[in-house]
Amino acid sequence: MSTPMESTAATPASRETSAPARRGALAWRRAAGHLGRIALGLIFLAAGVLKALDPAEFAHQVAGYGLLSPRLSTLAAPMLIVLEISLAIALLAGARLLLSGLLSLALLLFFIGIEAYGISAGRTESCGCFGAYVQRTPAQVIGEDVLFAGLAVLALWGLARWSGLRGRRAGAALAATVILSTVFVVASPYLPIDDYVTRLAAGKTLEDLELQDRVPGLAEGRHLVALIDVTDPGAARSAADLNAIAARPGSPAVVGLTPSTEQEIDAFLWSSIPAFEIHRIDRDVIKRLYRRLPRFFVVESGRVTAVYDGAPPAAKDLLSSEAS
Amino acid sequence: MKLVSPVVRKALCLALALAGLFSAARAGAGSIMCKPNYDYSVEVDGSYPKNATLYQSDAPGKYFIDVPACKNGLLMDLHDKRVVAVPRDQVKAVNGALQVAEEVSPSATAYALSVDGPIVAFQAEDRKVRILRCLDRPPVIGEVELNTLVADRAEYREAMKAYAPDAASIEKMNKYGRKVQLDVFFATWCPHCKEYMPKFLRVMSEVKNPNIKLNLYGVPKGFGVAPGPWQGRNINSIPTIIVKIDGKEITRMGSQPGATPEVELAGTFNAVN
Repeated sequence: MSTPMESTAATPASRETSAPARRGALAWRRAAGHLGRIALGLIFLAAGVLKALDPAEFAHQVAGYGLLSPRLSTLAAPMLIVLEISLAIALLAGARLLLSGLLSLALLLFFIGIEAYGISAGRTESCGCFGAYVQRTPAQVIGEDVLFAGLAVLALWGLARWSGLRGRRAGAALAATVILSTVFVVASPYLPIDDYVTRLAAGKTLEDLELQDRVPGLAEGRHLVALIDVTDPGAARSAADLNAIAARPGSPAVVGLTPSTEQEIDAFLWSSIPAFEIHRIDRDVIKRLYRRLPRFFVVESGRVTAVYDGAPPAAKDLLSSEAS
Repeated sequence: MKLVSPVVRKALCLALALAGLFSAARAGAGSIMCKPNYDYSVEVDGSYPKNATLYQSDAPGKYFIDVPACKNGLLMDLHDKRVVAVPRDQVKAVNGALQVAEEVSPSATAYALSVDGPIVAFQAEDRKVRILRCLDRPPVIGEVELNTLVADRAEYREAMKAYAPDAASIEKMNKYGRKVQLDVFFATWCPHCKEYMPKFLRVMSEVKNPNIKLNLYGVPKGFGVAPGPWQGRNINSIPTIIVKIDGKEITRMGSQPGATPEVELAGTFNAVN
């Protein structure tokens, strides 16, 4: 046990050594805070941009939780994407760090709560946190979100006294982010990026598309494959166009693939009278091939040779490509 | 004495041959080929007669419906939204398909049809006929014998014929000496079961081993809450085949694209040996 005399004698020396140590500890704490801020910012940015590539699919996934109606989900999904991208930019720029850090933490806790609800309701399918093209289960997502929440806490703790970007500059940066991300979310479905963000592109094989066992008939010969939503009012017109192609001698065989239900397919068969087979493909599989329907592709000997978005190719184009 | 000169005789023969060809061509041109489509069931007055079958023609929108209880065959034209009675002498069986005269008499009886979502309905010869997907038929629920199931479900029966199991695996299964119990939970409304079960049933119909006991259970929709033998068995998806050897659960099998149940079963038996 130390006496008061001893402690008085020791104090000046410990103050001399503790000041640099405290400065060092502060620097480490701040570095850890920056690490948390930047890591979380990059994660939010990746998640937001991946979702923004296919906002309709994210809306579908949000509706799948059953907490919001499909109509409300189509409003909530783009807002969530914009919020996520805005938080990402705020964290990366260090703008209004206390606010953005707390909002990030709240958002992550909200996501954890949603996933926990999903598990309790027996949900097992992918969450959509990183868009339609990264598949994980709700349990995996909860683990990740807890880790990300740790990064948010690290950023708040490490940068508690860091001023960062404030005032008008921070406001301008955030406003610009909100505007740009909103424009991106709205315009994204119309951008010609499907070949890059889906699995379907010229040169891909049936194995790449996970169709080799599901539609084995496509492995041989030449086929025009139509990815269609048979419940879409425009599907009847697509069927008429495809019927004309199927009836033309020398045209490739036409095959329809759809994520719709068997009952929906039947209703379509009886009313639109397609002259080609329609196969139902599990949504998890077929969704990786498109962002918007309809989409068409030509497959020759099991390999995709051409992809068409929005409308089937003209019958003469299919004949000429065969001739060449 | 020659009554007809050789030139005239040749000309007559040629004319006869041409007439024969012409009439044959006419008969072919006025007919459509129809193949059975077991994805659909034909409901007649609320029941499903065993041989009532929908045939899909090579002409889009045209289907032939064979209802054994009806005097005539029924040619359904979706474009015209009607069903026309076709005398049975105008329908010929050709290699498992039917050749149906397309050009029926203008005075032939025609019936209006209605499309209600996934179901086509009409009334012919005072019988209410509905065409619906076989998955939408009232399901088989509870324990069922293999033969009863196969007799009741044309989609299983016909797909079984098309499956050729691996002979070596069947032989291994036939020679297996341990006590095996296969508890199969399936659903007649489940598309995955429709793909998988005919293969499995074909395998089980070929295996003649008294050591292998098969229990088939048809599962209802919403089986998670419905009472039945599937409860308390941790059945999360269908089909689920619980493989027990000497009373102990060894593995569970389920459907997947390209599944070969006999190879999987023989492999399991081999591993336990």
